[in-house]
Amino acid sequence: MARLTSWRPGRSLVIAVPYVWLLFFFLAPFAIVLKISFAESQLAQPPFTNLVAVVDDVLTFSLNLFNYIDLYEYDLYLRGYLNSVKIAFFSTLFCLLLGYPMAYIIARMPTHSRNICLMLVILPSWTSFLIRIYAWMGILKSNGLLNNFLQYLGVIEQPLEIMHTSVAVYIGIVYAYLPFMILPIYANLVKLDYSLLEAAADLGAQPWKSFVRITLPLSLSGIIAGSMLVFIPAVGEFVIPELLGGPDSLMIGKLLWAEFFNARNWPGASAVAVVMLLLLVLPITLFHRYQARDLELKPDA
Amino acid sequence: MSSSVSSTSNSVRKVQLQINGVSKDFDGVLAVDNVSLDIYQGEIFALLGASGCGKTTLLRLLAGFEVPSAGSILLDGEDLSRRPPYQRPMNMMFQSYALFPHMTVEKNIAFGLKQDKMPKARIADKVAEVLELVQMNGYAHRKPHQLSGGQQQRVALARSLAKSPKLLLLDEPMGALDKKLRTRMQLEIVNILEEVGVTCVMVTHDQEEAMTMADRVGVMNNGVLSQVGTPMEVYEQPNSRMTAEFIGSVNMFEGTLKADAVDCAEIQADALDCNLYIGHGITGTEGMELAVAVRPEKINVSREPPSQQYNMARGVVEDIAYLGSHSIYHIRLRSGMIIMASVGNINRQLASDKDQRITWEDEVYVSWSDTCGVVLYS
Repeated sequence: MARLTSWRPGRSLVIAVPYVWLLFFFLAPFAIVLKISFAESQLAQPPFTNLVAVVDDVLTFSLNLFNYIDLYEYDLYLRGYLNSVKIAFFSTLFCLLLGYPMAYIIARMPTHSRNICLMLVILPSWTSFLIRIYAWMGILKSNGLLNNFLQYLGVIEQPLEIMHTSVAVYIGIVYAYLPFMILPIYANLVKLDYSLLEAAADLGAQPWKSFVRITLPLSLSGIIAGSMLVFIPAVGEFVIPELLGGPDSLMIGKLLWAEFFNARNWPGASAVAVVMLLLLVLPITLFHRYQARDLELKPDA
Repeated sequence: MSSSVSSTSNSVRKVQLQINGVSKDFDGVLAVDNVSLDIYQGEIFALLGASGCGKTTLLRLLAGFEVPSAGSILLDGEDLSRRPPYQRPMNMMFQSYALFPHMTVEKNIAFGLKQDKMPKARIADKVAEVLELVQMNGYAHRKPHQLSGGQQQRVALARSLAKSPKLLLLDEPMGALDKKLRTRMQLEIVNILEEVGVTCVMVTHDQEEAMTMADRVGVMNNGVLSQVGTPMEVYEQPNSRMTAEFIGSVNMFEGTLKADAVDCAEIQADALDCNLYIGHGITGTEGMELAVAVRPEKINVSREPPSQQYNMARGVVEDIAYLGSHSIYHIRLRSGMIIMASVGNINRQLASDKDQRITWEDEVYVSWSDTCGVVLYS
């Protein structure tokens, strides 16, 4: 035991790498954003005030809460947050409803076709994200592929108004994040011991019942991982609502962009970002707690 | 084939499971080939065979995980060969135990009872009852990964017994246990099964396990059930070269039938200088080719020539495997054949009395009595 805990430089170095990474590329930028969020906007370079300044030989330390109060007072932000969470939540749900059956079917395939299907799931991400969203614009717009096709078939007479609505945003988010739902669930289901399902059947459980009682609970960690991987980035999504969305698909990412680049209000934009992060901390913590419990459950996993 | 020599209790026993001409075809490969078998109520039956012989497929056909390509499976006269596993009144203990990792011991055992819509209070009683039976009362709230291999096996057994199945299926029940625990659990499981009185079909590749646990053994080879009988019948009266060689070790003498009388037969063996003498008449024509199997423990090894003129040979000790309770002598005959003889180490052997013992390179005689050889036609 003493040997295991004794200090070994090589080991510490290996562990230090991710910590250093997180320190430089996550914690430090966040500290800067946090700092700016307490500053005041000004027309200068940089466009915000210092928190610490020496004015008339007095060291002053000013913590400006205006930006946060603004967030509270303008219901635009509140609506933005709520709408983001709503869109992210339903997108996650749609991803789950689509992704779980896909992951299940892929996991049950023979190895050969399984690899082909996994490849097909991953393949789109080899193209630029932006280009793929632009492609959806071409599909969804009034005289786009989808409407032309449906009109050609005679299913509809007037083109469907999908582009620049929240439907388009949902389609975009579900499309873009589906692989992140499928892969963790697949990784989980493919490990599922098939004899457990046989045992359930042997004990009298019909297939749907052994799915609910055995497969589903045992793949819960995959479902949660997939949901987090979709939900968290979807809340802060900017490109999809910007390109596909319209006035009804107000999302916090768009507000942040506008605040930062249009209004050039860096402190205000920083405050928006900090609150968004705090909103996401809750599901992330829950996720980690569940993962820890899951590891405890399977000590040899 | 073995019905005439089956133990008498079988004649009053009721046939519970009938397997009628069951075959299973996997893409043109016959895993189970026209197997017919009756299992009696309350007996423990072991399907014994090397891996890939079709014994596991046969068990899975019984459980309903596979559908037979031909034939029928009748339990108490009712054909269930086309019923899904969840509608069969039989339960299986899996080789890996297949305990549900996210459920406690209690919930694992209650799982099957819940499927039957049994009232909660009765489920609790039944769970307590089977846990008592396998002596795991204190472990109801543990998760499977918190149990040792032996404890997991007890839980798996309890789970498969909880629904009071008409037929219990055991798939390599000792496969995941170490040798010491294996021997203990074999007898313990037999005691539990006898206490419950459940009919049981088990699959194993370990002949010792089959012989310890089972009332009757069925030897399978290439999908065919080659012999069925009590462990003693299968060991002492194998009906083919394959069975004789699979169960225990054996010295096999190939030869031709020389003379056949009512009470004796003489066989000329290729590897022996003298003839083989069998103390009973056999059904065969002179000149036909057959084999005589003699078990190693039935062979006598001595320095002095035996009095008999048949069933003997001279050779040189080539190898001795000292196994503690007995030693296996490998004796090379002049013909080149190697005979295995098992000699019990009745006296304590010490390094000091080395000279009196038969040892490497010694010239010895092997002999056996005329009741020891088993004539095999196939």
